[in-house]
Amino acid sequence: MTPVTRLAAAIGLGALLASGQLLAAGLGNGTLTRAESLREKPFADAKVLAPAAAGAKVEVLVREGGWYQVKAGTKTGWVRMLSVRRSAAATTTAAGIAGVASGRTGTGKVVSTTGVRGLDSAELATATFSEEQIAKAEKNRVSRKDAEAFAKAGKLTVRDVKALPAP
Amino acid sequence: MKTRITLLVAALVASSGCHALDLGGLVDKKMIDQVARDKLGVKTDTTNSSDVLIPLTGNPPDADEEKLGREIAGRLLGAAPLVNDAKLQAYVNKVGRYVAAQSSRADLNWTFGVIETDTVNAFAAPGGYVFVTRGLYALLKNEAELAGVLAHEIGHVNARHHVKLMQKQRAVSAGKDLLLKKAGGGETVQALVGNGAEIYARTLDKASEYDADRLGVYYATRAGYDTYGLAAVLDRLDAEGETDKLTLLYKTHPLPADRLTAIDKALGDRYDAVKPGLTLPARLAKLPPAPKPVATPAAATATGSTATTTTTPAK
Repeated sequence: MTPVTRLAAAIGLGALLASGQLLAAGLGNGTLTRAESLREKPFADAKVLAPAAAGAKVEVLVREGGWYQVKAGTKTGWVRMLSVRRSAAATTTAAGIAGVASGRTGTGKVVSTTGVRGLDSAELATATFSEEQIAKAEKNRVSRKDAEAFAKAGKLTVRDVKALPAP
Repeated sequence: MKTRITLLVAALVASSGCHALDLGGLVDKKMIDQVARDKLGVKTDTTNSSDVLIPLTGNPPDADEEKLGREIAGRLLGAAPLVNDAKLQAYVNKVGRYVAAQSSRADLNWTFGVIETDTVNAFAAPGGYVFVTRGLYALLKNEAELAGVLAHEIGHVNARHHVKLMQKQRAVSAGKDLLLKKAGGGETVQALVGNGAEIYARTLDKASEYDADRLGVYYATRAGYDTYGLAAVLDRLDAEGETDKLTLLYKTHPLPADRLTAIDKALGDRYDAVKPGLTLPARLAKLPPAPKPVATPAAATATGSTATTTTTPAK
């Protein structure tokens, strides 16, 4: 469990228990980018439970594929994930706090405590080509055949979809 | 018949190649450009790139593109070496190579890796070099998210975003300085440095990021992964918001929220009919613990190419 989920779990668990849905830790708050329908299930043709207005504040509970289960007011239902933006909630939600607390953003503190340096200006300024490293990286290459066998082991199958057009 | 554009190309590569097309725009471009320019003054007599001829228009042969990319990638690794974990590196190569196999340039010599830095980012270099940082990898929750991130970078490579950027910059510098032509194409680093700032102001190209996002979503979906892996990562970045080091980045690159909106627009319900993809959370390889602090990080970095700090053989 990452620090984010751990903290989110600690904070969000109570609410989820209260609502009887211990599916996962809550994901924090979000805002709808467009008018949406809260659906009973994460499918476009699922039954509509209630409408939700553009700009409505929601609590994001869990993701399933391209869908978020959200709580809007007293109603709970599924909306398209990409209809929700969580940015506005960043500074106040568990996720936001956890992001800062975990220090992943490469502050000076991280450098001194973990020994993993941020890729900053000083580093790039003094960067020189490393034959040793690039050769090592190239040694890690795998063949297409091996990669496809690996995919097969994970039950991944190629799907015939069309490229997304530029808007 | 090798021309002396080596320095120019190497310089452009060093200053624009990797970071300009990073995943989340999570490095401040201006800052690095300045660094790159500073670096150029020093680099003139020490370049170690092989001579490469990149045409002003059209696609260079894959082999030349790969040489360019190797130079870029080698420099990146000079700054941030591979995470010392053979299992992790093999895993990332398998996922990446499989996704690349579903893309338009399935048979490049694709090379993937996780590099040792807390900075959240991913890098692509021409010819098929793709790296994710430890910081970004740590945010991933499943294989589909990794696939989505790698697919985005594969998109940059396949669309030849770096190559086009370099061609554009070369065109600008060639047009600006007639002396260069007199010298028979022997562009100097000094000439390039003189043009650096304006070129970058011009090539701050958000469109490439949106392109790569669309390609990434497409490749990952095609490969059988959850369509929303990349979006989930962007959504997570969006939710975490601006923090210290990300402030400047957010100013110079598309915001995660804007990228989500663009993905939303491009995707719509297009893949709704596709059978849901896999996320494979259990397969996501674990990161090893971060290395212990080094006594003199600055010195260690400066000697990256001689590998005083990172000569750990694969297990």
